[in-house]
Amino acid sequence: MASALVVLAIAGLGALILEASLPDVAQLWNNRYLRTVVTFTAWQAFLSVALSLLVAIPMARILARQPVFPGRGLLLRVMELSLVLPSIVAVSGLVSVYGRQGWLTVLANDLVGASWNLYGINGIVLAHVFFNAPLAARILLQAIEGVPASQHRVAAQLGLGRRWYWRAVEWPAVKPVLPGLAALVFTLCFTSFAIVMTLGGGPAATTIEVAIYQSLRFEFDAGQAALLAMVQLIICGFLWWLAARQGLTASLLPDRRVASHKSKTGSSIGARLADGFFIVLFVLFLAMPLVAVFIRGLPGMGSAFFPEGSFVAAPALLDATARSLAIALPAGLMSVSAALLILACGSSAPNKAITRLTNVAAYLPLMVPPLVLGTGLFLLFRPSLGNSSQGLVLVTLINAMMALPFVLQMLRGPLASLDAASRQQADQLGILGWYRWRWLHWPRLRKPLALAMAYGTGLSLGDFGVIALFGSPGEPTLPVLLYQQLGSYRIDAAAATGLWLVLLLLSLFGLFNRLGSPLFRGRPFAHSLSTAPEPEHA
Amino acid sequence: MLEVKNLVFAYPGQDTPWVFNFTVSPGQCIAVHGASGSGKSTVMNLLAGFLEPQSGDILWQDRSILSLPPWQRPMTSVFQEHNLFEHLDVQTNIGLGIHPGLKLLPDDQQAIENGLQSVGLGGLGKRLPGDLSGGQRQRVALLRAILRQQPVLLLDEPLTGLDSEARDLLRQLLLEQKSRGTIIILASHDKEDRRILADSVYRL
Repeated sequence: MASALVVLAIAGLGALILEASLPDVAQLWNNRYLRTVVTFTAWQAFLSVALSLLVAIPMARILARQPVFPGRGLLLRVMELSLVLPSIVAVSGLVSVYGRQGWLTVLANDLVGASWNLYGINGIVLAHVFFNAPLAARILLQAIEGVPASQHRVAAQLGLGRRWYWRAVEWPAVKPVLPGLAALVFTLCFTSFAIVMTLGGGPAATTIEVAIYQSLRFEFDAGQAALLAMVQLIICGFLWWLAARQGLTASLLPDRRVASHKSKTGSSIGARLADGFFIVLFVLFLAMPLVAVFIRGLPGMGSAFFPEGSFVAAPALLDATARSLAIALPAGLMSVSAALLILACGSSAPNKAITRLTNVAAYLPLMVPPLVLGTGLFLLFRPSLGNSSQGLVLVTLINAMMALPFVLQMLRGPLASLDAASRQQADQLGILGWYRWRWLHWPRLRKPLALAMAYGTGLSLGDFGVIALFGSPGEPTLPVLLYQQLGSYRIDAAAATGLWLVLLLLSLFGLFNRLGSPLFRGRPFAHSLSTAPEPEHA
Repeated sequence: MLEVKNLVFAYPGQDTPWVFNFTVSPGQCIAVHGASGSGKSTVMNLLAGFLEPQSGDILWQDRSILSLPPWQRPMTSVFQEHNLFEHLDVQTNIGLGIHPGLKLLPDDQQAIENGLQSVGLGGLGKRLPGDLSGGQRQRVALLRAILRQQPVLLLDEPLTGLDSEARDLLRQLLLEQKSRGTIIILASHDKEDRRILADSVYRL
């Protein structure tokens, strides 16, 4: 499976290069536009990483210091969700808050006469921080909470101040996560598409991914697209290689199994109030755009489904919903199946090279631009791709690949959690084959599998990259419909579509969460003995 | 009768291999002791089939069991720790010892209930192992081993770290098993355990 992925990626890129004559590499430096694109992409990604970590590290520390406060659990869930929140929806929320007529802009203008322009690098970096700081804070929090309780107790007993608490307890936990986390955030920002498409301010604020889209869609210059794709591949690949050299062992996705250590360091009321202040600020930063999506979308929801008081449902929204689900659900299923196969092969492979190949395959989709991959594969399969629905199959495949790194991260830990002692026990008790899957793997995997499926589906549902290139404008998915509505200044309809997309996403997460919950929590015994009398002491 | 004949094993890089030779009759208990790394756990793992010897044989009722996988050998192991599946409750942990697919008859369930009562764990069947004390966990592990009804019990420091009350109870259980004809191979640092349970003692 890993080999298939690598081959698919190489085939996609290779087909693009073969189809188009690759321009001279020197063109990168001679062509001012290309040079600007590459430097801007790297600069905005660097700024986004720096600011995201600048927000994330103190927030993770604050949240670790404050293990109990109302709404903490909900805040953590929202922080996890930022990975799958469709960027185009979030951008519409950010515009409502920070745009020219946004709440905060108007307020700042009225109070201190300040104003800013959301479009251009400001908006792009702000949106990237909005997306990545919560995710980074959640992952760092997980690392800090993973510190054994005994270390927290010792530090508390010694009365370490915050600076020394950081140096002695928190920094050693955060340090191993940082290289991988920075690489992840950098890659996500470096390959950003929807945010730059909507908030980018023309040629001066264009990323490589958007330039590839423009090359393919408007300039029909596959050679330039291939060149840009390789630049992206080299930069991201080098970054992941560096991160891997530092030891990419720590999980780069939130893990709900890690419990809060609940041990507060003794802190004064003033320090706790300061923590509370920053938590409120962070919540506002996160919640305001989301609330804006709800407030602006809610009034238009009725008319979005039943236009002008009609009792006949609007076909556009329903069709887009059906199309989105028809792509997202198979994409989620494909990414989860592929991840399981890769992990199963990787864990049973006796050869180190195979293990390394699975690791490469895991991160490859983060490095190869989906647009390029899609275009390459489109060119490769073109003779057999007849109509738009076959193009959607390609979109599904690429979406599944794009979700793979995240899905793999989610399943890697639980699948490997069967320790040597458990394996020995199972061997001796004859718990083999299906029984081993049923009793040992499934209880550990059920929830992560459902969550991985939710993430895989959610990422595809919010995709506004591959679909923008291959989708037919007459047959939009929900994000494309939203983009079209924004483009034609149907702001109310766009707000309603955005809200509908978020509600659909939340419903999917709720549904998969429910599917992942055991019907009889911790009672497999009673379940399997339905004919036997219930124990008296149950 | 369990016979271990010239069983030779060495870990990679180990100069002198271990060679094990002993015979145990039904209802007998042999104890082994020695310093850390002397091979106590190794002999247990060889018998259980978790390690493969370089040469030699293990005979059960005059038939070699060396080629059998762990689940087909007439043995059950109880280690000092990590004997239970942490995500499954006590009843399920024990039930899986009786049938690997947990297809239990009402009699089996009754046996589990009675067993839990007899080891002082009545009412704790629905608890997860993490919610039990060390002594309670070992009682569950031992009860599972007993209910598996295999003729040989391999016990690797099963009573280490337990309080005196738990030790007494488990020793009593083991003596009962001996009296029913179960063979016990015990690795233990504790002189008192060896004195009470073992018929013969070997120093490795």
